[in-house]
Amino acid sequence: MRTSVPVKVLAQLSCRNLWRHRRRNAMLLGAIVIAVAFVLLANSLLRGWQAQMLDTVVANLTGHVKVLAPGYRDDPSIQRSFLLPADYQPELPGVDGWASRVRVPGVILSERDTRGVQLVGVDPAQELEISFLADVAVEGDFLESPTDRRVLIGAALADQLETAVGRRIVLMTQGSDGRNREAGYRVAGTYRASSSSLEKVFVFTGREVLQDLLGSPAVTELSIKLVENGQRSVARDILQRQFAAQEASTWDELEPMAASMFRFVDTAMLIWFSIMMAALAFGLVNTLVTAVMERTRELGMLRAIGMQPGVVLIQVVMECLMIVSLGVLLGIGCGVLAVRSLSEGIDLSQWTAGIESYYMGSLLIPVLLPYDILRVLGLSLLFGLLASVFPAWRAVRVEPLDAMRR
Amino acid sequence: MDAHDYVVQCHGLERTYHDDGVPVHALAGVDFEVEKGDFVSLAGPSGSGKSTLLNCIGGLDRATAGTVTVGGVDLASLSSAELAELRLRRVGFVFQSYNLIPVLSARENVEFIMQLQGVHADQRRRDALAMLDSLGIGELADRRPGELSGGQQQRVAVARAIVSKPVLLLADEPSANLDSHTTAELLQLLADINRERGMTIITATHDPAVMAFARRRIGLQDGRIVSDLRDEGAGG
Repeated sequence: MRTSVPVKVLAQLSCRNLWRHRRRNAMLLGAIVIAVAFVLLANSLLRGWQAQMLDTVVANLTGHVKVLAPGYRDDPSIQRSFLLPADYQPELPGVDGWASRVRVPGVILSERDTRGVQLVGVDPAQELEISFLADVAVEGDFLESPTDRRVLIGAALADQLETAVGRRIVLMTQGSDGRNREAGYRVAGTYRASSSSLEKVFVFTGREVLQDLLGSPAVTELSIKLVENGQRSVARDILQRQFAAQEASTWDELEPMAASMFRFVDTAMLIWFSIMMAALAFGLVNTLVTAVMERTRELGMLRAIGMQPGVVLIQVVMECLMIVSLGVLLGIGCGVLAVRSLSEGIDLSQWTAGIESYYMGSLLIPVLLPYDILRVLGLSLLFGLLASVFPAWRAVRVEPLDAMRR
Repeated sequence: MDAHDYVVQCHGLERTYHDDGVPVHALAGVDFEVEKGDFVSLAGPSGSGKSTLLNCIGGLDRATAGTVTVGGVDLASLSSAELAELRLRRVGFVFQSYNLIPVLSARENVEFIMQLQGVHADQRRRDALAMLDSLGIGELADRRPGELSGGQQQRVAVARAIVSKPVLLLADEPSANLDSHTTAELLQLLADINRERGMTIITATHDPAVMAFARRRIGLQDGRIVSDLRDEGAGG
C-alpha cells in the first residue's frame, strides 16, 4: 500500500508553520501585497494610455477601418478618389459610426500669413459620430451641413494666421484636372482640440463644397468606427470585398507607429510585471530557504518516521503558495482600490505638449481589465510556484539522519 | 528457530564512513537476529556503533556491506521511497530528543503517522486519544510540545511510535534527556508495551537502567558485538 498525500494535514502544518514565524511572514506578505498592488495600478495606467491611444488614433479621422483609393496613402490627392453612392450605408456588423470625406493637402491664406494644411470636406453630422470634432470646444459656429460654405479651423491655426471667427480666408489646392483651384471662405468657428497639432493641420468645410472646389463628386476616404476594436480585421475584409477596386485597411495598418506603441504597452506591462515579480521571488526564495534550514531537523524527523520525499516537497510548495495566494489576493484588492481612487483620472495637462506625440491626452484615466487581473493572479501564482521549487528541492534533499544530528 | 520468527536479521553488517577521507568503521561485521516480541538493548560506549546499527535496522542508514532484513524484507533492495514506506508502516521510532512537531498538539502528533497512512479521521482521533490515555497523558492531548515536560514529550513520542502498531519499535537513547524518575516511568512503559502488545523493541543506550529492563543485552565495541546476554527475568 502506498502512502496517501494527506492534503488536509499538510495544509494545517503549512498554516501553523507560517503562523509560527508570523512577523517574518507578515513582512513577506506585505511585500507581495505592495508589489501586486503596484503592478496592477501600473497595468491599469498603461492600459488607460493604450485605450487613450486607440481612441485618439480612431478619432483623428482614421476610424477603426478605412477605405482609400489605391495610391492615396503615398499621394493624397483628388485624383486618387472613388465615387460613393449618395444613399450609401455600410453593410457590415458592429458599426458604431461612419463618415465619407474629401481630404486633400492645400494651403490656407489670411491677410497675414499662409500655412500648409489638410483640407477636409465633411458631413458634420457624420463627424460628430466618429471623429474628434465631437469633443472639441468651438468658438463661433460649428459647420451645419455638407453644403456649408464656411470653414472651421483650429484655434492654434487661427493664431498663426492672425485671423478670427467671421473673417475671410482663402483655400488653395489642386483640382481634379491638375490645375490649381482657390476660393474664399468665411471662418464659421475655431475649435480647440486635445492636441494643438490637430488644430494646426485640419481645416474643415462642407464635403460638397470642397468637391465643388476640386471639380469632382468623388470622396477620398470612407472611415468606419466599430463597436469592438477586435472586429477590425473582419470589417476590413468585408469592406475589401465590397470595394474591390479600393484599399481597405485597419487603423494599425494606417498608423504603424501608433500600432507599434500599442503593442509596446503590452510588452511593457509584461516587463514591468516580470521585474517586480523577479525581485519578489528573490525575497520569497530567501525566506523559504531560511524557513527550510530552520526546520531541517524537523523535516529530517518527518522523513525518518516515514514521510515520502514528494510529500515533503508538497508541504514546502503549499506553504509558499499559501502566502503568495494570500498576498496576491490582498494585493489585487489593494490594487483595485488604488485604481478606483484614481477613477477621475490623473491630470497631465502641464505636460500636454510633450505627451501628445505619444497619443496621450491631458487626463490619464486608469483602465482595469478583468483579463489583467486574471493575468496578474495567474502569473503571480506561477512565480510563487517557481520560487518554491528551490527551497522545496532543498527540503527534499534533507537526509533524515544528517538532519536529526543537527 | 525458523527465519519467520525473526523480526530482524543482520549478517556481516558493515558500515564505513569517511571522515576527511579517512575511513571510519562504525560497524565491522555484525551478525545477530532478533526474535518477535523480544526486548533488546544495544549497549556500548560512544562510538561503539550502537546508534549506527539501530539506524541501519530502521532503514535510516544503509550498510556498506552485509544484509539487514526487517520482517523478512532485505533493506538493501528497497529504494529510499520504499524505505520511507517501511518506516511508516512497520517501524516505530523513539528519538533521544523526542522530535515532536512543534506546531501540532500531542494528539495531532500521534495522529500524524496515521494521517500519512491514510487512516480515516474518526478512527485516527479515537486511536490517538486511546493511546494517549493508555500512556497516562490523555488529559494533555491538546497541549503542544512546548507546553509539556520532557517526560511527557517522550510519552507522546512513544505514543506516536506505537499507535499504528508497528512490528518493531526502535528507541535511540530514549532516556538521555530524562531524569531518573521519568526514565523509570518510560522504561516501565516500554516494558509494558513489550509484554502486553508483544511488540519487538530494540533500544540503543549506554544507560544501565535501560539495559536492565531489556531481556537481551548486546554489547558493542568498535563496531563489533562483544557480548550477547539474555536475562529472562528482566523487564520490570
